[in-house]
Amino acid sequence: MAVVLFVSAVIALLARWILVTSLNRELEQRGVAIGQSIAERASGYILDKDRANLVSLAFDAAQLGERKVLVSYIFIQDNEGRVLANTFIRPFPGDLIKANSLPEGKEYSVRLVDFDDNQAIDIAVPIREGIYTLGAAHVGLSKNHIDSLVGTLRTTFLGFIAAVTVVMFLIVLRLSNAVARPLSKLTQAADAISRGSLDAPEAMLGLSDDAIRHCQAYANTDLPCWHFDQHRVEAEGAGLPMARTCRECRFYRKDGGGDEVAQLAESFSNMIWSIRLYRRRLRESEEKYRSLFDSNPDPVFVVDTADGCILDANSQAETVYGYARRELTGRFVGDLEPDAGSGGVAAYLNDREAPGRVLFPKLRHVRKDGSPLYVNLHACRIAYRGRDAVIISATDITELVEKDAQLIQASKMKTLGEMSAGIAHELNQPLNAIKMGSDYLHLLAESGQTPPPDALAAVTAQVSAQVDRAADIIGHLRDFGRKSEPMLENVDINTPIRGVFTIIGNELALQGIEVALHLADGLPPIQAHANRLEQVFFNLVVNARDAMSEEQCPKGMARPHRISIASRRVAAGVEISVADTGCGIADVSRHKIFEPFFTTKQAGRGMGLGLAITYGIVKDYGGNIEVESVPGQGSVFRLTFPAAALQAGQGA
Amino acid sequence: MRTILVIDDERPTLQMFELYLGAYGYRVLTAASGEEGLAVFDAANPPIVLTDIKMPGMDGLAVLKAIKERRPETEVVVITGHGDTELALAALGLRATDFIDKPIRREALEAALKRADARLDMAETTVGRYGDVAIGREGDVGVIHIRASLVGETEPYLTRAYRELDDASKVLFQFNPSASINGAGLDLLLSLVESSLAAGRPAALCGLSDNFGRVLDRLGVTAKAPRFVEKEQALAHLAGR
Repeated sequence: MAVVLFVSAVIALLARWILVTSLNRELEQRGVAIGQSIAERASGYILDKDRANLVSLAFDAAQLGERKVLVSYIFIQDNEGRVLANTFIRPFPGDLIKANSLPEGKEYSVRLVDFDDNQAIDIAVPIREGIYTLGAAHVGLSKNHIDSLVGTLRTTFLGFIAAVTVVMFLIVLRLSNAVARPLSKLTQAADAISRGSLDAPEAMLGLSDDAIRHCQAYANTDLPCWHFDQHRVEAEGAGLPMARTCRECRFYRKDGGGDEVAQLAESFSNMIWSIRLYRRRLRESEEKYRSLFDSNPDPVFVVDTADGCILDANSQAETVYGYARRELTGRFVGDLEPDAGSGGVAAYLNDREAPGRVLFPKLRHVRKDGSPLYVNLHACRIAYRGRDAVIISATDITELVEKDAQLIQASKMKTLGEMSAGIAHELNQPLNAIKMGSDYLHLLAESGQTPPPDALAAVTAQVSAQVDRAADIIGHLRDFGRKSEPMLENVDINTPIRGVFTIIGNELALQGIEVALHLADGLPPIQAHANRLEQVFFNLVVNARDAMSEEQCPKGMARPHRISIASRRVAAGVEISVADTGCGIADVSRHKIFEPFFTTKQAGRGMGLGLAITYGIVKDYGGNIEVESVPGQGSVFRLTFPAAALQAGQGA
Repeated sequence: MRTILVIDDERPTLQMFELYLGAYGYRVLTAASGEEGLAVFDAANPPIVLTDIKMPGMDGLAVLKAIKERRPETEVVVITGHGDTELALAALGLRATDFIDKPIRREALEAALKRADARLDMAETTVGRYGDVAIGREGDVGVIHIRASLVGETEPYLTRAYRELDDASKVLFQFNPSASINGAGLDLLLSLVESSLAAGRPAALCGLSDNFGRVLDRLGVTAKAPRFVEKEQALAHLAGR
């Protein structure tokens, strides 16, 4: 607006200047013309020295028509500057004589002169006769008249300009109503959108809410919007199911009518619709994931990769770990896993080489009150609010671990039951010797005899030795039956292998089974529970024994019944093989052998849990168990365990 | 004194046996395995053999079988795990003359040895030991007195005695304390008791050692014919029926 006014003013001033200048020039030209006509006629009178005619000429010229207002005076000078004739009715003002002397050869000269408190524009024109200059005719144009002319002109012009300006202003006002208001509305709407409000712009732009009610794609985010998702279809080709789209959108408008501003407004409202649809989808998606986060039955944490602090946690995390959310956020994730060492999340955060998704099986975590819980941890690298983070889902498997432990315990108890015959036999041997030795002494004592010194020595030594032997067996049984502590211990793999044979070695020998142990010395320890490993080897040995029994191998060929157990060091840790000379395992069975409740034994003879539990135990210690078998030739179970120091979290 | 061969894979046990039986005045031979025991048996021919049943290699039952093949009249006492009546029955089926539980109680061992000695003494003095079955009557009770061991070979004599007492309304089987019953004898006794009950004649047993009593319990014989230590108790029981 200001620019419009300024430009108008500049134009007005310019026009005024042009007008005034041209008016002045026009008047000057008129003055020059008057002067020239006088000069032409005066030349004869000057030559004739006819002053009366000269005076009359001057007066005639001065009084002709309108000139008497314009021309203030006329006088004629000769070459010497003498005034030959003038129109002054008062004495001739002397100032004028020299005021505007005409330079030689010039056609006319114009100068502003003062006389008798008046101002005039004096125009001098030479009077020539042939090549001679006779004098000069001076025409004084009244400055007052000119000024009043200019003043009139100026007033008129300014009035006109003002009128134009007002008209222009009104036009601009109309234009601004037509263009600027919708534009400023759009601007306001855009501002409102950028502030996050979508309803305000709709109100501003007068959009109806009908579309929200009628748009299928708005209500159901699974439906593609033909307008909004068009580029997606183009990008993804015909793959996207387009079966259900609106033929015509009730909201999306493209009339093509109206001026540019109206079209802009239309596009703008379409854009708002798109944004609205998009926002709704985004919000719904966010809500969906937020609700997934919150309603997840497992505790979920978001951990900052840089400092290991918990950024966010769901409500289940509060419940399971016993911390309030504000206590969890900002807490170092390592606080939850005090004995994870290099196998926990804290270590994973620092390990840039680690894969993007990792499973940490059976980690021991602690609650706020210090009680332990066991979790399977899934860690996954994500970007969270512009930071590198790891999202951790911790499945509470405490109950599972406890059930596992109970199952293993139950299985050990069952094993103890199976061993009972062997145990009874093993315990009976020393008890028998002790009993007989003491009975012998008693017999002698009763009959008042003194035992011979060597017999006494033999009996006492034997009693002592046999008590130790029995105590060893009982101690071993107690160790075997003891519930394992959650913490793993370093175990020399040969110990549980030998342990098995302390209990059932004799029984195997009684059944005519030869046992060959090839145990390497100086094996690296493994992280495990000795008594659970004993359970493993017991299961394997008992299976081997059963595999060689008559009922398992009806053909009953005369082959040596031998169980060979060898331990040796391998690159990754230790390997143990348990081989038998039994009837082997059919291919069909071999694939199912580690499945629970799979058994080839007669009904009532086996639950089919032994090898399943064995498998579970071996896997628990990060080990592996495989079976090779040639039907009719025997089977070899090969177990490998990582050496203690190599134990760490496994990638998944 | 008699010679005893002890076969056990447990060296400490053997050592104790040697001292213990020596104290009783037996000449003791020991062997740590079935094979070794059989070799010693062939060499020394002992009248009494004590053998553990559970042994690696040749076990007690195999030794028993081999010895009974070589010399059936040998007194073979098997040593079984405590309460292992099945194994005892298996041994009796193979004509073991007695069994004792491990750990060996002094009284059980003494009793078993005494019974073995008594049977050996009787075998040396009595002719036709299998047929030594006598009959008697106590009122309406027919008493079958089995003076030696009840074995397969006793069957004709026992059935004859049983038939002779056909008119008695009750039956008492009276054993000597030293009597042994082997597998065939147990079957025989069971079938006689069953047929007696089937004929409506209550039956009872008396005089058997506890050892065999337990085996009879296991076989269900004593449920049909109650067992008593003394003859008078048995008669009193039968009188009440």
